[in-house]
Amino acid sequence: MLVAPLGIAWFAAVALVLLDGRRARVGWFAVAALGATLAATVVLAVQVLQDGTVRSVAGGWPAGVGITLRADALGVVFAVVSTGVLLAALVYEVIGGVQSPTFPALVLFMATGLTGVFLTGDAFNFYVFFEIAMISAYVLTGYGQETRQIRAATIFTVVNLLGSVLFLIGIASLYHVTGRLDMLGIALRSDDVGTQPIILIAVIIFVAFGVKLGLFPFHFWLPAVYTSTRPSVAAILSGALANIGSYGLLRFGADVLPRELEQGAPALLLLGTVSIVYGALQALSRNAASEVLAYSTVGQVGYILIALGVGGQIGYASAVLFAVVNALNKTLLFLSVELRGRLVWLAFVIGAFSVAGVPPAVGFFGKAALFRAGIAERSVILVALIFVGGALSFVYMFQTEQRRFWAGDADDPSPLARRGLVLLLAGLVVALGIWPEPLLALSEQAAAVLPERRP
Amino acid sequence: MTTILTQTIARLLLPPTFMVAVAVMVKGYADTGDGFSAGVIAGLGVLLQYVAFGYRVAERLITIRTAARSLVAGLTLALLVSFVPLLRGDPILTHAPAPNAHVIHLGSLELITAVLFDVGVFLIVFGFAVGAIGMVARAIDRSAP
Repeated sequence: MLVAPLGIAWFAAVALVLLDGRRARVGWFAVAALGATLAATVVLAVQVLQDGTVRSVAGGWPAGVGITLRADALGVVFAVVSTGVLLAALVYEVIGGVQSPTFPALVLFMATGLTGVFLTGDAFNFYVFFEIAMISAYVLTGYGQETRQIRAATIFTVVNLLGSVLFLIGIASLYHVTGRLDMLGIALRSDDVGTQPIILIAVIIFVAFGVKLGLFPFHFWLPAVYTSTRPSVAAILSGALANIGSYGLLRFGADVLPRELEQGAPALLLLGTVSIVYGALQALSRNAASEVLAYSTVGQVGYILIALGVGGQIGYASAVLFAVVNALNKTLLFLSVELRGRLVWLAFVIGAFSVAGVPPAVGFFGKAALFRAGIAERSVILVALIFVGGALSFVYMFQTEQRRFWAGDADDPSPLARRGLVLLLAGLVVALGIWPEPLLALSEQAAAVLPERRP
Repeated sequence: MTTILTQTIARLLLPPTFMVAVAVMVKGYADTGDGFSAGVIAGLGVLLQYVAFGYRVAERLITIRTAARSLVAGLTLALLVSFVPLLRGDPILTHAPAPNAHVIHLGSLELITAVLFDVGVFLIVFGFAVGAIGMVARAIDRSAP
């Protein structure tokens, strides 16, 4: 069961390479395959949440020798969310007619890469799947084939190749210092190694994931890319691919190198704060809706960093919850940004409420979890920051809503199926906000996988 | 600028290149070599044809489309070798025959599923190398006056 999602996505991706993705039938085949992947991931998730972590070593080798595949609560949560986001973006494109023959195959290759990243227990294997996902993203960013999209793809590729190289250097150094590549082994051995070399490696890995996430000092590529790509691709990048960054920080920070995460906590809190304030102020000063959303992304990932800096079960649980909520919000908003009509307005407003953290949208619980973390940390500054950040995002989201919808739409509304899709996503955001217990329990269970912070 | 000399040598070298590639792959289990290096060697043989003859002639040898098919076939083969053991309840990538079991030898070639996986790797690397070289050559050919 562990490798079923991986296998379905991978075989379907290979089959789709030979087919012309512009034909509707091929597009719906891709949707069916991705749906099957999502179903298999959900089945795996249920199994993991009930019976605990599932492990398997490739080739029947002893653990520590072969490549470990491992599904735990943290991994499956991210796998389900990312595959779901990819499915939404793929359906959005297939409804409107895919323009490139390779688009469906690339989305399935990215599903393969992401599922692999979240289900592997081996640091180098993590890198391999990470590259599969990244390479599909490089090509996907150019989807549309206009000059601005090619330019965006070039920026994205160059910056993220640098990030990937940094990550590879980090993995190689970890192997050099600990002699292991499986995450469990690295975590055990790194305790025996002095702090000096490992803190440097931890910084390298942090920078690598920071580039992927678009954290404050490494965000420079993000607005240029998000504003130029197609909405579906922007949704894929911010809702699915960015999960690698938040998952990677949680996995490599809290799970593999907890001691270094604790030492780096003040820096994380500082960077998170700057990210939130900077992202919100930039978003306030922008006009184009996609640009506002891009800077809002810079701000929102700051919250994940803050939650990580707070640490402990409360901090990790709120980081997971916030990452999931953020992925849903960004998918909803990016997909609805170019559509027209009253229904789209409704979906956009729900997304805006969710970003600002206003009930009944699910974003409220993301912010509430952060409040709890801030109070647990006994920090007035953190609580104030989260409040101010939320207020600022409320202002910029509704500024955008005014500019985008109050002028009235001159053109006819978009196709009903697309509007229905974003409305469905908006319904999900509200439903999870009204009935949040499963999501809250899920994030706590995911955080319980990570070791408790040492006193 | 290519001359009759480079063209003759390029053509003469093509069969031995493929032979060396196959030898490197077959020897891989007892000696240095594997499907990846074999794919690179075979790809270089084709690259030589592009350098000596140009895109239009060399494309007759193997088209970009064939190269892409080789890549897909290789990926499918490697994936099948990885995933089929699951049907028997073994972990992914379990190879047959099991360690210490009897292996059929054909000369220095051992009939094990790992070889099949390496054939897949060979096809991927060869297909990618030829496809990439062909696309660059095509772009140069089209931009030439």
